[in-house]
Amino acid sequence: MPASSEQAVKLDGDLHARPAGALAVAAARFSASVSLSAGGRRADAKSVLAVMGLGATSGQLVTVSAEGPDAGEAVAAVAAILGRATEVGT
Amino acid sequence: MNPDGTVGIVLVSHSAALAEGAAQLAAQISGGTVAVVPAGGTDDGDLGTSAEKVRQAVGQADRGAGVVVLPDLGSAVLTVRALLADDDDLAASVELADAPFVEGAVAATVAAVGGGGVKAVLSAAEEAWHARKF
Repeated sequence: MPASSEQAVKLDGDLHARPAGALAVAAARFSASVSLSAGGRRADAKSVLAVMGLGATSGQLVTVSAEGPDAGEAVAAVAAILGRATEVGT
Repeated sequence: MNPDGTVGIVLVSHSAALAEGAAQLAAQISGGTVAVVPAGGTDDGDLGTSAEKVRQAVGQADRGAGVVVLPDLGSAVLTVRALLADDDDLAASVELADAPFVEGAVAATVAAVGGGGVKAVLSAAEEAWHARKF
């Protein structure tokens, strides 16, 4: 199990409130710290307000990184939500 | 307290419409698996707050893991404090959050859905003071 993990996801839709909520809920289930970076800014993925405050938009590259015993699973779960952000909608 | 239950959220506003709207928004953003109960307006349906509405909302929101109450402004705080001062049983399960109303409601509800305990949910609400919109 890796202690740190990272994956970049290109958004095909804006990061709206509902996907931000789903993302924060998913991230909270892991003990690893999880963060998102986009456009030179960084946000705690477990904070829905911070994720929304990132203001990530369609076409932007968002990097998910995690540190902790379950970092790999945390990154996979969060990246999967980012990947389907368009389907979740607003 | 039942450690398996989720923390409930009560939104106390002077306006019933504001409390209901904030509850609806928080439930939608969080995926809606925890109790988010509005307690807005007076018993007559006017603008103001009602201790009885807050009491009922806390009862509805309480699933055994505690309840975080968010007041909107001024006397909403006084109404909740007076209620808790008069009722030790209620006070034992309730934490009053000093937080921005909409952002706090959303952050608290997401934290509760994520499995946070009452202190974590309270912190999530109060950390909303530091979250920039953009």
